[in-house]
Amino acid sequence: MSDLSPLTCQEAFDRLGDFADRELVPEDRERVEAHLALCARCAREFAFETSVLDALRRTLRRITVPEGLASRIAARLAEAEPGDPARGPDPD
Amino acid sequence: MSKVPPAEHTSTAAFERLLGPVLDQAYGTALRLTGDPSDAEDLLQDASLLALRGFDAFRRGSNFKAWFFRILVNRFYSLYRRSRRRGVALDVDQTPDRHLLDRAEAAGLQQVRDPAAAVFGQLDVEAITAALDALPDDFREVATLYFMQDFSYQEIAEVMEIPVGTVRSRLHRARRTLQTALWALAVERGIVASAGDDA
Repeated sequence: MSDLSPLTCQEAFDRLGDFADRELVPEDRERVEAHLALCARCAREFAFETSVLDALRRTLRRITVPEGLASRIAARLAEAEPGDPARGPDPD
Repeated sequence: MSKVPPAEHTSTAAFERLLGPVLDQAYGTALRLTGDPSDAEDLLQDASLLALRGFDAFRRGSNFKAWFFRILVNRFYSLYRRSRRRGVALDVDQTPDRHLLDRAEAAGLQQVRDPAAAVFGQLDVEAITAALDALPDDFREVATLYFMQDFSYQEIAEVMEIPVGTVRSRLHRARRTLQTALWALAVERGIVASAGDDA
């Protein structure tokens, strides 16, 4: 049984981003979870946020890696010697 | 930390063993940053060569991916950031609110099992990329690392060389702005009923 003080809806909402990203410290995460177990409205809000982020992440990560990319980079690296500034691009 | 023979530590083979597993992910991030496949490959090649050249400075056992992505992002800054085309920038100074869920429910989506997926899952990659591109650079770069990689806030801070609090602030505002812009696009495209927009 937790003795942590319960969160209001606003306090829970303020933690939504960090909660969705698993960035809350365990005590805070536990307080949010306790609030979501009791508040259907906030639970819908958090589920909505998580689902939006998942949808954007899935779509943006649809990438076609060019064929032969790894081989071309390996070939460039093979031409260069580590620590040899003359062989790579100019630094900033 | 154990001593590593210098020859192995600085060898191209040792570097490639670490680079290989993150190469495709790095290409994906480079593509989203530059917006062009050819530029993305050039950026990745340059970053790889710079990283190999500086491999002596990499602390064995530390986070290679964050180290390499820092070089990638820095190279992106020097090659592309100032010349990058800019469309109409989105205003990120929005107060976080709950209007999207309200609008989704007002549009009749409360009966749908996953209303967010029903709307945002129908948007194509070009639309989402364009919205990401419209963010101011500081916000776009943090959001790109966030969406493209499974980095923690701390890792994004290390890659971007900014405080964790700044990552958090930029990220939360960026994604709120993105969601608002993409919701408006979903309404415009008829993915969601416009009645929900008036809720």
